[in-house]
Amino acid sequence: MWEQVRQALVQSTERFLTRLATLLPGLAALIVALLISFIFAYILAIAVRRLLTGLQFEERLARSGFSSIAEWSPMRSPVRLVSRTIAFLVILTGFLIGMEAFDAQWTSVFAQSILAYIPNILGAAFVLLVGAIVARFLARSVLIGAVNMNLQYARLLSAGVKWLIGALTVAMALDHLRIARSIVELAFGILFGGIVLALALAVGLGSKDLVTKSLERDAPKPPHEALEDPLRHL
Amino acid sequence: METGSIPRQAETLEQIDTADLVIGVLADLNEEAIAPLYQALQQIPGALRIAAFQDTHGRVPNPVKAEAGEALAAQTNPGDGSLLFAAPLTAETSEPSSPALSMFAAYQSVFKAGEKLKARACCVLVSKLQSSSPQWFCRFAQVLLERELDLLVPNYARHQFEGLLNSSIISPLVRSLYGKRIRNPMGPDLGISQRLFHRMLSADRSVVGAFHPLASLAPTALCNNMKVSELHVGPRTYPPTDWTNISSLLAQVLGPVFLDMERNAACWQRVRGSVSIPEMGEPVFVSEDAGSVDISHMVESFQLGNRELQEIWGLVLPPTTLLELRRLARMSVEQFHLPDELWVRIVYDFALAHRLRTINRDHLLKSMTPLYLGWVASYARDLQTAGRATSEHRLERLSLAFESGKPYLVSRWRWPDRFSP
Repeated sequence: MWEQVRQALVQSTERFLTRLATLLPGLAALIVALLISFIFAYILAIAVRRLLTGLQFEERLARSGFSSIAEWSPMRSPVRLVSRTIAFLVILTGFLIGMEAFDAQWTSVFAQSILAYIPNILGAAFVLLVGAIVARFLARSVLIGAVNMNLQYARLLSAGVKWLIGALTVAMALDHLRIARSIVELAFGILFGGIVLALALAVGLGSKDLVTKSLERDAPKPPHEALEDPLRHL
Repeated sequence: METGSIPRQAETLEQIDTADLVIGVLADLNEEAIAPLYQALQQIPGALRIAAFQDTHGRVPNPVKAEAGEALAAQTNPGDGSLLFAAPLTAETSEPSSPALSMFAAYQSVFKAGEKLKARACCVLVSKLQSSSPQWFCRFAQVLLERELDLLVPNYARHQFEGLLNSSIISPLVRSLYGKRIRNPMGPDLGISQRLFHRMLSADRSVVGAFHPLASLAPTALCNNMKVSELHVGPRTYPPTDWTNISSLLAQVLGPVFLDMERNAACWQRVRGSVSIPEMGEPVFVSEDAGSVDISHMVESFQLGNRELQEIWGLVLPPTTLLELRRLARMSVEQFHLPDELWVRIVYDFALAHRLRTINRDHLLKSMTPLYLGWVASYARDLQTAGRATSEHRLERLSLAFESGKPYLVSRWRWPDRFSP
């Protein structure tokens, strides 16, 4: 009886040691892959940082109206944010490649699924970036146009446009990430419709006085309607 | 040169070989106005071959025009040696999106016609002058050819509230930049020599965009030491203001002016002070009393802009300017006054921001509208409180402010990153 127990223990120890021994090369490969990716990420981060500093990335970003990015960047530097993001992606890729070296079914499937998901993440990030740029551009266009039309609720319109495009962009990004699609669709419909309704109510009812005043001001005696207006610009 | 001929109408530009003078009629003149004009052109001395092109404004040439041509043929003295061709003008761009852009394209077409016909000069007629006589335009063409000028610009007899965009920005800016006192650097009626329109058409477009057929004319002529003069003509009929479109107008006109500043930076940075250019003809005076202006709407536009566009203006204007604008926005309509020095710095800062592409250029120029309306309101109020016959002095003071503010522009242009209080 005791002999059988001893044999079972020996066999299980052997199996453990054998499994451990088979894992060691993979572990070594993972460590090597991580080391290489760390070095590569470090070099790439420095190169990106110097390139972006040379291109006056932070100043350009501020001029384009994205100064708020600095607020949630490490050390309030968007250049550091970009370089660290790139470094993180390189290390993540190195880690996933290292995982492949384990030659185990589950690690392979895990790594493959993660790698297959990366394009979705990049796609969603791209959608968010483009959406932010478009939202900023259109919000500014609406703001300037509304101010030049003498609309007292110019900022409200501009903010509405910004939020509409923001909601649309986030919904598209989440759809790209395949996260809770049905909920996103429903939430997006409600949110989008809600913003439009809120805008309509705010402009039509909520700021009734403002609109009336603005329309009154526009209607009877603005220079563009007054027949006797002697001003000639061109 | 052909002599003793009768005016005739050509169908297209291709049917004409050469011409001494190319006339582009861009004004929307009816047949009754065109016939006397063509007839008057025949009176220009010297056996000239004149090719006249009319912008039909997208319309199919009217059959009545042929009648006008026939009438012209019947009335012309065949012994004067001149020859007139008349054909519809076809603008290069197919669908210009605005009247201003359509006009710019038409200018370009006139220059190209001048180049093709190897003309000595081109004249462009855009305005309807309040005097119905076409003689002024013939005098315009005659002076251009006789004096061998490179650029002849009109000096209109003007009411105090007319041509405000020119008076507030374009004319004083050209004066301070290039050192020549030109009242109407952008015409719109113009006489241009072969040398100048050749230069306009053959310019290296890769440097800073294409030459603008109107905004680039005076700067190009001045930077190349060409002969520029102005001719006194009568009062012009200005188109009524389209207030709903004023920001687009500002962007369309100021965009090319600021682009030209960028192109000619090496030229204007050397210039100090200003001198008059030769003037011809007798000045025509008009009544200064042009009616009262309600400035409250413009002041409100300025106040609204000051409230809502701080985010954009903050990227363009230095803190002291923003502070002064905020102070101005608190003033009542009765007290409202935008100092010339402040206005000059605003114009220069916007020109610099345009060069640096601080924000989208269309946004930049359109966001200037409330500031421009603020200046117009201030100008109108100044004239109404100061009494009559002061607009010339008021505009001269503004021009001097532009000149004295030029070191500020040069300094910021050269060192835009230097802190500016």
